[in-house]
Amino acid sequence: MHLPDGFLAPQLALALWLLTAAIVGIALRRLAASRDTAGAAGRPILMGLVGAFIFAAQMFNFPVAAGTSGHLLGGVLAGYLLGPWAGTIVMTTVIGVQALLFQDGGLLALGANIFNMGIIGTLGGTLIARALALTLGDGRGARIGAAGVAGWLSVMAGAGVTTLQLGLSGTTDISVGLPAMLSVHLLIGVGEALITIAALSFIATTAPDLLGEESATQHSLLRRATAGAGVTVAVIALATLFASTDPDGLNSVAQALGFSNFEAGTSFNLFAGYAIPGLDGTASTVIAALIGAAAIAGLLFGLSRLAASRSVKR
Amino acid sequence: MSRATPGGRDARAAVIAALFFILAIALLPMGAYVALAFSWFVVISAGAYVGISPLRLARRGAIALPFVLAALPVIFLRTDELLWSGTVGPLSLSISGAGLRIALTAVLKAWVSVQASIVLITYSDAPTIVTALRRMRLPDAIATSAGLTIRYLELLRDEARRMLRARTARSASPVGTGRERIGGSISWRARTTGNLVGSLFLRAYSRAQRIEEAAASRGATGSLSIGTLPAADPRLTMKVIGVLVLVLTLTLCGALLPRL
Repeated sequence: MHLPDGFLAPQLALALWLLTAAIVGIALRRLAASRDTAGAAGRPILMGLVGAFIFAAQMFNFPVAAGTSGHLLGGVLAGYLLGPWAGTIVMTTVIGVQALLFQDGGLLALGANIFNMGIIGTLGGTLIARALALTLGDGRGARIGAAGVAGWLSVMAGAGVTTLQLGLSGTTDISVGLPAMLSVHLLIGVGEALITIAALSFIATTAPDLLGEESATQHSLLRRATAGAGVTVAVIALATLFASTDPDGLNSVAQALGFSNFEAGTSFNLFAGYAIPGLDGTASTVIAALIGAAAIAGLLFGLSRLAASRSVKR
Repeated sequence: MSRATPGGRDARAAVIAALFFILAIALLPMGAYVALAFSWFVVISAGAYVGISPLRLARRGAIALPFVLAALPVIFLRTDELLWSGTVGPLSLSISGAGLRIALTAVLKAWVSVQASIVLITYSDAPTIVTALRRMRLPDAIATSAGLTIRYLELLRDEARRMLRARTARSASPVGTGRERIGGSISWRARTTGNLVGSLFLRAYSRAQRIEEAAASRGATGSLSIGTLPAADPRLTMKVIGVLVLVLTLTLCGALLPRL
């Protein structure tokens, strides 16, 4: 789900960078305001360690069937353990470090990747989990079950929104891409939900004080109903967005915004322009191609030698 | 050029160069293969300068290639500039030149951009880049979190590797049939994996507590933004102007050179 550079229209990538920066800015302010009272969430060292933990936990693949395995993404888990704002900051740094160190996701596409996984996945997922838990009575089981459901939703929402962004950029066809992405992530999301539930149950049993679960307070019926309505509206809004996305509509939006610059005109003919003056036909093209290939081979050889000598000096 | 100690060099120029260069690649129009070849030449030259051969760079850049799957539908579903149409078994298929151009341009852009970021991370290590980003006003909470994540990454990954090895030894693997197949149902496997995740979190948490206590005993607050930053690069302005000239050249190449 980590978008590399090159697949998103640059205007969209920059717009998502701005949106992401604004929301992460809000998260930072909320975190700073609550630092004294936030407990675990306000501890910068813990946030760094949880970032490294999410990285390492993503190595635990989950064997679904022979040859197929899923792994944890961890957005809702981080949000549950640290709270939505600190969780968002942690996932922002995790996704940033993934792009920087492992080239998992592009640098220009980083804004989009943080938006899809850090903001929708972690902030959105954790808020949904909290509202759902409140609706279900806010006991321990309700909270952990709600985190599982939110984990599944966060994976589906992230995959869907990623595909819509690709569709807006003109690099995929929504009518095929969206059902394909959602059906693949349906299973990945189940893996995410099961691992999130199992991990939280383990922590709740082994170290219940870490989850900061105050004894289940009785919430008023009105509050529970409001939370339930909020979750329902969010889920219906998301489902409607994915179900009713009209590919033609999306294309016309993309074209109106100037995203998809499909210049027609020149026909797709790779070798048309390559010819040697004075020579005609195939011979000319072949000789031009050979000269080009020799020049590139020479260049690559020269640069390899340079790289070897520079690498020894370092 | 010797590799500086972590955080010991001002890498702002390198970070700015990589970001603007990748932006310039993204801005190249569809089908601008000549300009893309030029940008690839710039990247492999920079790669050779920092000591990575073009072949190694190309191989590591292949990490972005599987994403071409996302662009496959446009090749077959667009109906403009048809290059071929026919039937394969029960399916009637067509290949669109415009779709092919979109997919090929996206994949090449991704491939060259990944190589540019590999050159950046080879030139300056991750802590140096985080220090440079802090100089460029990256908020302290994110810089500290990223710095610590990078610092403890290998430690926790090692821990995870050991736990995985133990899991494999106990065999939660679904490979094999009959008596070879050891391990329970999918929910059992999910619970096993979840327990690993939970216990890794507890280990990370207790480590964080120990580090916090050690830091507090020395009067530290947990922010990494203490101490002095490395000396500012005196030629930063000149380097940034150079980067802008290069980016402008690349953009002009994209606009003026022939497209296919």
